[in-house]
Amino acid sequence: MDLSLNVNGRPEQFSAAPNELLVERLRDGLGLTGTKVGCDTGQCGSCVVRLDGRSVKSCLILTVSAAGSEVATIEGVTTPGGELSGLQEALRQEHGTQCGFCTPGMVMALGELVENTAADPEPPTEPEIREWLTGNLCRCTGYHSVVRGVQRACSAARAQETAEPATAAASGQEGSGR
Amino acid sequence: MTTVTGETPLQGNGPLGQPLDSREDPQLLRGEATYVGDINLPGTAHMAILGSLVAHAKILSIETKAAEQLPGVLKVATAADFTDVMPLPCIWIPGGVESHFPPHPYGLPGARPVLTGDAVRHVGDPIAVVVAETPRQAAAALAAISVEYEPLPVVTRADEALAEGAPQLHEAVPGNLNAYWTCGDKDRTDAAIAAAEVTVDLDLVNQRTINSPIEPRGAVGDYNAVTGEYTLYASTQGPHNHRFLLSALVLGIPFNKLRVIAPTVGGSFGTKGYLYPDMALVLLLSKALGRPVKWVDTRTGLMNSTVQGRDHRQHVTLAGTRDGRITAVRATSYANLGAYPSTIGPGVATALMGRSISGMYDIDAAFCEVYAAFTNTVSLGAQRGSGRAEAAFLMERLVDRYASEIGMDPAAVRRKNLVPKEKFPYDNGLGWTYDSGDYQLNFDRAIELSGYADMPARKTEARARGKRLGVGIASYVAICGVGPSTRMSQEGMLGGTWESANIRVHPTGEVTVTVGSASTGQSHGTVFAQVAADELGIDPAQVQVHEGDTQSAPYGQGTYGSRSYSMAAPAVALTARKIKSKLIRAGAVFLGVPEDKVVYEGGKVHEEGNEENAKTFAELAMAMWYGWGLPPEIEPALDETTHFDPPDFNYPFGTHVAVVEIDELTGETEVVAYTAVDDAGNIGNPKVVLGQIEGSIVHGLGQALMEAAEYDENGLLISRDLGHYALPRAIDAPFFSLDKTTTPSPHNPLGAKGAGEIATVPPAAAVVNAVVDALSDLGVQHIDMPVTPEKVWRRLRGESQ
Repeated sequence: MDLSLNVNGRPEQFSAAPNELLVERLRDGLGLTGTKVGCDTGQCGSCVVRLDGRSVKSCLILTVSAAGSEVATIEGVTTPGGELSGLQEALRQEHGTQCGFCTPGMVMALGELVENTAADPEPPTEPEIREWLTGNLCRCTGYHSVVRGVQRACSAARAQETAEPATAAASGQEGSGR
Repeated sequence: MTTVTGETPLQGNGPLGQPLDSREDPQLLRGEATYVGDINLPGTAHMAILGSLVAHAKILSIETKAAEQLPGVLKVATAADFTDVMPLPCIWIPGGVESHFPPHPYGLPGARPVLTGDAVRHVGDPIAVVVAETPRQAAAALAAISVEYEPLPVVTRADEALAEGAPQLHEAVPGNLNAYWTCGDKDRTDAAIAAAEVTVDLDLVNQRTINSPIEPRGAVGDYNAVTGEYTLYASTQGPHNHRFLLSALVLGIPFNKLRVIAPTVGGSFGTKGYLYPDMALVLLLSKALGRPVKWVDTRTGLMNSTVQGRDHRQHVTLAGTRDGRITAVRATSYANLGAYPSTIGPGVATALMGRSISGMYDIDAAFCEVYAAFTNTVSLGAQRGSGRAEAAFLMERLVDRYASEIGMDPAAVRRKNLVPKEKFPYDNGLGWTYDSGDYQLNFDRAIELSGYADMPARKTEARARGKRLGVGIASYVAICGVGPSTRMSQEGMLGGTWESANIRVHPTGEVTVTVGSASTGQSHGTVFAQVAADELGIDPAQVQVHEGDTQSAPYGQGTYGSRSYSMAAPAVALTARKIKSKLIRAGAVFLGVPEDKVVYEGGKVHEEGNEENAKTFAELAMAMWYGWGLPPEIEPALDETTHFDPPDFNYPFGTHVAVVEIDELTGETEVVAYTAVDDAGNIGNPKVVLGQIEGSIVHGLGQALMEAAEYDENGLLISRDLGHYALPRAIDAPFFSLDKTTTPSPHNPLGAKGAGEIATVPPAAAVVNAVVDALSDLGVQHIDMPVTPEKVWRRLRGESQ
C-alpha cells in the first residue's frame, strides 16, 4: 500500500505491506535505528516513539494505521546543532543510562511527561514519574538515576517556564544542582 | 529514591575517584550508538534459527525442501551441512573432580554441536537455519521446515535427573551427572555438626532466573574471500575470548583469520560471554553464501537459548552453640546445568558458589558438595552476582534460622561471628583467601543506617495499619577480580584470565588507551580515561579509550565478574607508570640533569628543586615523537603495554538490610526501605558505581519477589516472554539508603575491588529474611522465592508451603 508519514518533520512516502510494523518501517525502511526492539510483545518499551505527540510502542502499531501521522523518533529530539534536549541533558547529568539500549524509548516516553507537565504549578511526584515509567524496562540502572533525571528535567523546564512564560518549550538546559 | 551518605570517595587531587559525567551518555541519549542489530553491511542476508518445539526427542527426519522454495530463501542448513565443524567447548571444568562431558576432538570437553542432528534436549535446541533476503522471509521459512520427532521422557530438575530411572540426556554421561564437586573439610564439618549444641536445617530452592538484558543477542558474520578472513560483530562481553574459542576450537581456522568486534552492547549481566551456535553459524554461512549474514534474536528466542542463572536445590545445615557462635556449615546442592554444559557454566555452579558459602563469618568447619546434572532445560550460565548470590542466600537464610532457634537477635548473631579485622588475609577453609576487610565497621554502619533499633516500634505501628512489617539482614563476601591465571587454572579454567592495556601518546599530547576488556554499559571510556589521566597528571579530556575490537585491542578476557576496574584499570595504571618512568629517563636528557634529579608531577617533568627547568606532557610527547637526541638505550615514541595478572582475587563485601510490609489481606510484599553498605575498595567513579549498585539491588529484588524461569512437566518454558516473566519495573524499586566503607585491596595498584554486580548478591536473602520475620509468629521458618502474593497469602491462612 502506498502511504505517507511525516517523520521528524520530514515527509516520507513509501509502499508498505499490510502487516508491516511501524518499528520495521522506521528501522529497516527509513534507517532510523535509534528506535530499538527489545521484545516481541510490547513489554519493554525500547521502541517507544511519539505518534502525533503521544508516546506509543512502535512494535505494536502497523505502519498502515499510522498513515498520515506525525512520527517523532529519538533522531528528531536532538537539535540540528547536536544540542541535547532538556530531558537528555538532565539524564546525562544524573547518568540515567548504562548500556543505553532502553534509553531512546525512555527519552521518547518521558519527553511526553516532561512537556505535558511543564506548565503545571507542581512538578510530577516521584510516584507519578515511576508510574509513567512502568511501560519502559531497564535492567541496568534500577530506574533511580532515570527518576532523578526526570525530576531534574522537570525542575529545569519549570524554571524556564517561569523565566519565559511565553514559550511552552520543555527544554531547559540549565539543570539545578543536586 | 536513593539517599547516599558518607563522603565523596576522593582518592587524591586528580580525576580518579571523582564523579565525572559518563562520556558515553550523550551518544546513548541521542540514540546514535551502534548495537549489533543496527549494523547493516552492504549485501547482508538474514538468518533465522529453528529451535526445537519439544524438550526431549529423537530426530527421525528433517524435511527442508518446502522451505528452500519459498521466496527470498538463499539457504537452509541442518547438522548434516556442518559435519566438519567442532562442537562448542566448555572451558571451565571444576578442578579435581570426576567429570563427564560429550567429547570434543581436541580432547577438550565438547559441549554442544552448532546444530543438533540426532536428538533435541531442550525447547529451543537449534535444529536448522534459514538464510533469506529479509528477516521476515527467513522467519517465515522456518515454519515450512518439518521435523519428525520421537518423543523421549523429560526431566527438568537436577535432583530428579540424578534419580534412578531418570530420562538420559547424553550417551557419554551416564546418570546425567556432569560433575560431583566438593570443597572444605567434610570429616571436620560432620564431626562439628554431630557434636553441636544446636543444629538447624533448611531445604532451599534457588530458582532459575533469566538474566534479560534488554538487548537480545545478535551476530553478523562477514567472510572475505580474498583475504580468507572472517569478521564477527557480536553482542559479546568478551570479544577476545570468543575469537580464541571460535577460531581454534570450533571453526578450526587460524586465530589471526578471525576478527571479533563488540559494538555497543545492550547489557549482558553474564550472558553474553558465552559461546553460542549462532556465532559460528553466521560465519560459516557468510562463507558459504559469499555475503554478510546477520542474525538478531527475538525475546522468546533469547529466553529459550541464552544461558539462564542460579537454579540450585539445596539441603543445608548450620551448627552452633546456644549462645550464638557458629561452629559449622554444610551444604549439599543439586545444580541444574541444563541440557548442555555452557562455556563456563559448570564452574559457576560449583567453585563460584561453593567456596563462598561461609560468607563474612569466621567458621571453624565448612563443607560444600555440588551434584551438577544435565536436564531438559536451557544451559546454565552466569548471571549478575552468579554463584555468590546463591551462596549468600543459603548462608544468610541459615543464620536467621539459627538466630530464631536460639532466640537471639539475628544482628547480634551475625555481629558475633564476623571475621575479625586482625585475621586478614583470612583463609575461609573453602578455597578462598579474603584479601582485606573491616567487616565490623561495615556491618555496624548498615545496622545503624537502617534504623534497626526502631524496628519493634515500626512493627507495632504497621500492624495498626493492617500490615506486617519484617526486617531482614544479609551480609556477603563476593569473590571478584578473576583473576590470577594460575589460580584459575587450579579451578579448572582453560585460558589465561589476565587483562592488558596499551597506552599510546600521540605527538600532540593526546593519549589513546586501548584495553582488552569490553564494556556492556559500564562507562569504560570514562573510567579508564580517569585512571590514565590521574597517573599521567593530565586532563581526562585528553584521553580517548578504545576497546572491543580484537584487531586493535590488546588481549583481555573481557567484562565479567565485576573485574574491569580491578583487572583492566590496573593494567592501564601500570602502563601509565611505564610511560612516566620512560619520561623521567628521557627527561634527564631533555633537562640536562641526572635521572635521579628528575621529578614527574602535575603532568610535567622538572628538575628537582627547580620548576623552571621543565617540560610539559605535550612538549615531551612531541619531543619523544621526533626522537631527536635520544641515547640508544631510550627508544623514541611513547607506546607501552602491560599484562596484568594479579597475585590473587579480591573480595568486596557488604551488609544490606531490607524492610518489608506485607498486606494482611492480599499477601502482597512491599519493600518499604532498603539499606545497603557495600565495600568495593577504592572506587574510580562514584557516579558510575552508584548506578551499578542501584541496578544490582533491583535485580536482586527481582529474584526475591517476582522472577522465575518456570518449566512445565513437558519441559516447555512457560515464562517464555516478558509477559510471562516478571522483571522489576520503576514502581518496584523502593527507597534506597546507601553508604559505603572503603577497604582497599592489596592485590592491585588501585586498591580496587569488584563493584559492578556485588550489590546483586545479598538482596534476595535480605528480602526473604524480612518476609520470614514478618510471618514468624505464624510459625513460618522459610518461604521459597519468588515470594509471590499467593504464597504469602496461603501462609497467612495457615497453609504450609
